[in-house]
Amino acid sequence: MTQQRVAAPPESPAAKRIPLWKILALPTVALMGVLVYAALALAPEDADQGPAQRIFYIHVPSAWIAFLAFAVVFVASVALLATGKRKWDDRAVASAEVGVVFTTVVMLTGPLWARPVWGVYWEWDPKLTAVFILWLIYMSYLALRSYVPDPSRRARFSAVLGIAGFLDVPIVYLAVRWWRGLHPEAVVLGKGGPQLPASMLQILLFGVFTFTLLYLVLFTLRLHVGRLRSAQEEVQA
Amino acid sequence: MTSTDAPALGMRLEGVRKSFGVQVALAGVDLEIPQGSSVAIMGPNGAGKTTLLKTMAGLAAPTAGNVSLAGVDLRRAGAGLRALVGFVSHEAMLYPDLTVHENLEFFARLFGLPQPEKAIQIRVEQLKLGHVLDRAVRALSRGTRQRAAIARSLLHSPLVLLLDEPYTGLDEAAAESLTDLLNELRTPDRTLVMAVHEMSRAVAVAERLIVIGDGRVKIDSPIAGQQEELASTYMSLLRAAAEVRL
Amino acid sequence: MSRLRPALLIAAKDLRVEMRTKDILPAVGLFALLVVTVASFAFPTSGPGREGVAAGMLWMAFLFAGLLGMGRSFALESEEACIAGLVASPAPSESIFIGKLLSNLVFTLAAEAAILPAFLVLLQLNPGPGLPLLLVTSVAGTFGIVVVGTLLSAMAVNTRTREAILPILAIPISVPALIASVQATQAALEGKDIAAAAPWLFLLVGYGAMFLLVALATFPYVLEE
Repeated sequence: MTQQRVAAPPESPAAKRIPLWKILALPTVALMGVLVYAALALAPEDADQGPAQRIFYIHVPSAWIAFLAFAVVFVASVALLATGKRKWDDRAVASAEVGVVFTTVVMLTGPLWARPVWGVYWEWDPKLTAVFILWLIYMSYLALRSYVPDPSRRARFSAVLGIAGFLDVPIVYLAVRWWRGLHPEAVVLGKGGPQLPASMLQILLFGVFTFTLLYLVLFTLRLHVGRLRSAQEEVQA
Repeated sequence: MTSTDAPALGMRLEGVRKSFGVQVALAGVDLEIPQGSSVAIMGPNGAGKTTLLKTMAGLAAPTAGNVSLAGVDLRRAGAGLRALVGFVSHEAMLYPDLTVHENLEFFARLFGLPQPEKAIQIRVEQLKLGHVLDRAVRALSRGTRQRAAIARSLLHSPLVLLLDEPYTGLDEAAAESLTDLLNELRTPDRTLVMAVHEMSRAVAVAERLIVIGDGRVKIDSPIAGQQEELASTYMSLLRAAAEVRL
Repeated sequence: MSRLRPALLIAAKDLRVEMRTKDILPAVGLFALLVVTVASFAFPTSGPGREGVAAGMLWMAFLFAGLLGMGRSFALESEEACIAGLVASPAPSESIFIGKLLSNLVFTLAAEAAILPAFLVLLQLNPGPGLPLLLVTSVAGTFGIVVVGTLLSAMAVNTRTREAILPILAIPISVPALIASVQATQAALEGKDIAAAAPWLFLLVGYGAMFLLVALATFPYVLEE
């Protein structure tokens, strides 16, 4: 095992700025509170589905952010292979770990919503299945990383898996869609534009905004933790 | 200092760096190795010797700087230049379940040699492998396996032969045999670069010593007439490196 | 140097090693048979809808056995650092990938060819007019799985757990190919013809083509030290 030699990390300008997560953390928590209130109290009740439908304001934004996180993993993976610079690997793994969190939220809120409305906790419908496979791909991505000790190789292997996984998810969706179909039809991105009543749409979009902020907080925080960990390894080497 | 013709077909490393984030395997190596020279590379464990050889063999790409052979950047010319380099690692790079002959035939064809059988025959004679041609590589002794590996690396008559710690695991007789062989291989056309652990091995084969430490060139000197000083400088370097690790 | 010639040399070398050691093929074939056997005890194989169950069983067998074989194939390359010998040669990385892909395809398809008759007999199935669809699906589905498996096994072999991690990496990504193959195979077992399962076959071909491109583009980074 080659001895790790380290260069003194250059003083980065980023180290001097106040980190994004510090600035955004409190406002984001506040906004999340507002979102929950809005979802529970302000949003009109759904005529067909009743109160259970309110979880939609958490479930849908989570799903979109889960895919956003994976898209970031994809972009960072391509950048890592193209440039070979470590920062892209740091970004990829940060987004992957945060993405797992959001994907798990989708997987937990899905059954909570499904049971009262569909009568079952789970159905192999296209969207849920695609998210489930996304979750599995994230997990295999993290598993791969934990089994490759050399950082340069770990970064490259993860990048290849990140690229393959990202390109796979739309095909999963397509395959399952041809196979089944039970999910409520797309109400925002479906044909003819949003089909939600304006009040619901507003809260949903607010939810997406808030969740995006939450993603940024968690992502930048995770990057920061990653940097601390690297610095620690440096000292120990 | 550059001369005009001898280095032209040699290897040149300019600012070669291999790093990933804060982990640095090579921290900026500049070397000019003229064609026909015989160089020994030494250094403490983990200093970057293997990484250096691998970048020269085209197995690892430097993160900065370039490696060129005969004036052409290895990365750009890729496949064509790899045909001019031979690499011997301490792993044989031979398929254990195939015979020596089957292995040599495979690699000869893979390198696109116009007369594979002839090339094989030449190396088999040179490396004295005639009696083990039909034996599976798995069944060979370490010394014989290594001769087969060297035969493999010479099939395409490379301009540069790189050897990564070839003396590892060899008994004294096999080691002497290897030294004789390497000296036979020193011709004006061929450049020999060898990573070794012991000064005595370096002295027996090489005319120039390069010592790598912390991913950099620490010593670069002809060997003749300076063996004692080089040996003591090397020892103090090793001691210093060991101390840092403690 | 042409791209194809080194690939064919590498594939031929793999076949020769296999004929010498018989490491891969018997293990893969036997494992596939065992999966089918276990599944026969575990799942209802009679009654309505049994074609669907059988199709699933068949592809579980093909997938797991295929992954076993692909893992072994790259493990043989990593012995004695042979892969470095290939990388240090003039053979471009695409050729190395295609060579391994070809030998993996041969091994997997050979094992499947042996299993398929046994499977039909054990489960008392007769595809009849569905036979062409069954065969085409087997080839198309296997192609997709082997492309992904070859790429991932090259990485898996360089991890701490070696080939053991390959199923974890490959199975999630193989899901679309699996769904499509099972659906098309079910149709075949029900006696339908190729046209009936055309969308699934298109998906399989598209999947295979896409991942072939991804593999060729990313393989150099996998091989690099």
